[in-house]
Amino acid sequence: MKLRIPALVAALVFAYLLPYTLDSYAIHVVDVALIFALLAIGLGLVMGIAGQVNLAQVAFSGVGAYTTALLTTQAGLGFWTAAVLALLAAAAAGLVVGLPALRVQSHYLGIVTLGLALAFLNWITNTTLAGGADGVSAIPVPPLFGVDLSDEYLYYYLEVVVFAVAMGFGLFVVATPLGRRLRAMRDDPLAAGAVGAEIPYLRMVAFLLASLYGGLAGVLYAGLIRYVAPESFSVANMFLLLAMVIVGGRQSLWGCVVGAIGLSLIREYLSDFSTYAQLGYGVVVVLMVVFAPTGLAGVPARLMARRRREQARAVLQPFEPYHPIEDGVHGQGALEIRRLSMYFRGVKALHEVSFRVEPGEIHGVVGPNGSGKTTLFNVVSGLYKATAGEVLLDGRVISGARPYQLSHLGIARTFQNLRLFRDLTVRDNVLVALDRTRTWSIWRYGLWQFGVWQQDRGLKQEADRLLGRFGLSDYADALPPSLPYGIQRRIEIARAMAVSPRVLLLDEPAAGLNGDEVQQLARIVRSIRDSGVTVVVIEHNMGLVMSLCERVTVLASGQIIADGIPADVVANPAVIEAYLGGESMSAEPMTIPAEVQK
Amino acid sequence: MQVFLQTLVGGLSLGAIYALVAMGFSLVYRTMGLVNFAHGDVVMIGAYVASTFYLSVKLPFIPAMAIAIVVTGLVGVVIEFVLRPLENKDFDLMLIGTIGFGIVLQALAILIWGATGRAVKNPVQTGPIDILGARVRAYDLVVLAVTAVAMVLLVLFLQRTKRGVAMQAVAMDHEAATAVGIHVGRSNAMAFAIGAGLAALAGGLAGPLLYVAPTMGGSLGIKGFAAAILGGFGNMPGAIVGGLTIGILDSFSAGHFQGYSDLVTFLVFTVAIMIRPTGIFGERTVNRA
Repeated sequence: MKLRIPALVAALVFAYLLPYTLDSYAIHVVDVALIFALLAIGLGLVMGIAGQVNLAQVAFSGVGAYTTALLTTQAGLGFWTAAVLALLAAAAAGLVVGLPALRVQSHYLGIVTLGLALAFLNWITNTTLAGGADGVSAIPVPPLFGVDLSDEYLYYYLEVVVFAVAMGFGLFVVATPLGRRLRAMRDDPLAAGAVGAEIPYLRMVAFLLASLYGGLAGVLYAGLIRYVAPESFSVANMFLLLAMVIVGGRQSLWGCVVGAIGLSLIREYLSDFSTYAQLGYGVVVVLMVVFAPTGLAGVPARLMARRRREQARAVLQPFEPYHPIEDGVHGQGALEIRRLSMYFRGVKALHEVSFRVEPGEIHGVVGPNGSGKTTLFNVVSGLYKATAGEVLLDGRVISGARPYQLSHLGIARTFQNLRLFRDLTVRDNVLVALDRTRTWSIWRYGLWQFGVWQQDRGLKQEADRLLGRFGLSDYADALPPSLPYGIQRRIEIARAMAVSPRVLLLDEPAAGLNGDEVQQLARIVRSIRDSGVTVVVIEHNMGLVMSLCERVTVLASGQIIADGIPADVVANPAVIEAYLGGESMSAEPMTIPAEVQK
Repeated sequence: MQVFLQTLVGGLSLGAIYALVAMGFSLVYRTMGLVNFAHGDVVMIGAYVASTFYLSVKLPFIPAMAIAIVVTGLVGVVIEFVLRPLENKDFDLMLIGTIGFGIVLQALAILIWGATGRAVKNPVQTGPIDILGARVRAYDLVVLAVTAVAMVLLVLFLQRTKRGVAMQAVAMDHEAATAVGIHVGRSNAMAFAIGAGLAALAGGLAGPLLYVAPTMGGSLGIKGFAAAILGGFGNMPGAIVGGLTIGILDSFSAGHFQGYSDLVTFLVFTVAIMIRPTGIFGERTVNRA
């Protein structure tokens, strides 16, 4: 913080003085580099922050530039009116290109967005409306507040102001609840959905943000060059932009900007030796990707990591129990499973399963590997849609809802194979879950940023309280993969409790824990129940199940074979048969579809 | 009817080229989980090598093609070696890393063969053949036949030979494959070489149909990739069906919408992928969860 203000002042002074040292050609180059930087921020947000492959970013700027050009030259609108409409047009394009992201991801999304960008290029190259390959020229740019924008030096200052605002907004988004949700979605969309992030809307928001930055860059481009043609928005330029973002470091907006400005200056400098420049640029990109996958922005962090190892060791503090609810009467959190079936192409993972979990109960679900326990959790938490039957929470049918809707209704879960957000700190992991607002509340990012900031501050205090309760304060700034397994398990429980659930589903919480840790786990689970939360736990550790659970349901081959108090259940011949005899013991380890297991 | 048939055969022969490109994509993807965006540029290298031996060295077309396949296959081995750290990695890195390699190949092509393209004369100098009243270029039929033979050979190789089966094993689980004594690195290099060889075949065959230029890989690569996705990524019959579909779509939309054919092709493709994300035959994923 101490360094930030002098650095900001220095940057402002530099930005102000820079034009005085440049000739008319150099200032043009800088103007173009700033436009690339704006585009790169947008691409960084959608790809680096939100994890959505977008090869239409340059096409978004094409939509912005062409809309400005056509509205000013053909419809006779003023430049600034046209600019606003162009931003809206780019946003609309963003939503259209974002639609496929609801269905496909990764390389599929890459080729679809690239295809749509090519379709746009194909259209503007052919339509007579947009002048075909010749493009549109003579775009009028009026003075702004008496500043003559046809002067590239003065245009530079306009760009710097726009860039500063856009960068500030981008950084604000990344650091506040929306950005955290986007990053959580990038790291693990399933877990993000399970803590209440509305994945489909967030994907659209990511494309919307990218297209707004693209549109802004397009408008500025049209104003700077005052001429637009299809080749400015070609696939080659898209790949150049992509290289800028990857070389700079896609997960850091500063990295994207540095990459954009750096590569555009280098490209300009080498333009006289174009073929060798192309060769060099290709080689540099390959080398960067192979040797520095986090880009330039990742280099300082790598150096820091080496130093951080020498710091004092963090300690896991004891868990501070929750306050038990008044008079011990649990009003809500009744879970009922009615004749639930889940078939995978004829494999009956669950068949007509029915049981009840009373409010305030700790209910165990046990059974041999492959008996359908995790499938049951996946159905209850909305990852799978049941083939038949229903799930009721406090008398209300909740089966068929999406995971994020269930999270908002009060269902929280942990995962058998730990699904923490890898690149988010422990505090951020908890913060994502603490944020209970819906996606529509992002209107505040446009109109009431102070409200966002205030909410964020409140959430952070709450997060620190929660981490303190779970004894995790020392690890608040660590990344989960760097922590021991037992601590990661505890973070998952803390994250699940952050959503203030009515029902908590724990999938093998004791797996991989040592004896001492299992004792602590039992204490934590009892305290969670005493605070008014119903707990359903899948567990193989029978000692823990016997001591912890009030009722136990036993599954074998997708069907219930026993249901009752632990002492009765272990004496049940069918249970002994399932556990000790029969073929289930030799059955293969439980496998669930890769998307859930990962 | 005549117009229809002629458009259809034209689309099929272009589609056969896309299918060969798509097979290369799919083979490399399913063996090592690498989405190789430089594949289109490997096609371009293949086209240049073939046309050089055919036009400049004046070899007959078939030996020229054979040399192109071998040379490009060797280039493939080099690419595999350089990009090995990216296999099974983050998709964003693969995307830009392989695109970067494609840019290198384009620059090399410009340095070796110059920036202007060249036309390749048709090696089949017989006149058009009459089929049901439609006049069909004989070369189109040659392209289709060669593609069919290449696919049969590839499927036989993958299913009937020891090396082919080993390659399938690596695709399913590279650790288990190592454990049973398969040299995964060598197997991957061979898969990449075969993929590059298929690319050379596609490029060599495309030479007389299109125009050989350093940038020809762009459109061929993107359409071939779209074909692989449409058919079901990693699936060999899917690559063929996807390629032919894209080719026919291209040829009919060029007939009906003239300049707007790319627009129509990609819009149809997008809608198709949204309806059926795993492609016609479903993705044969490299499942390493």
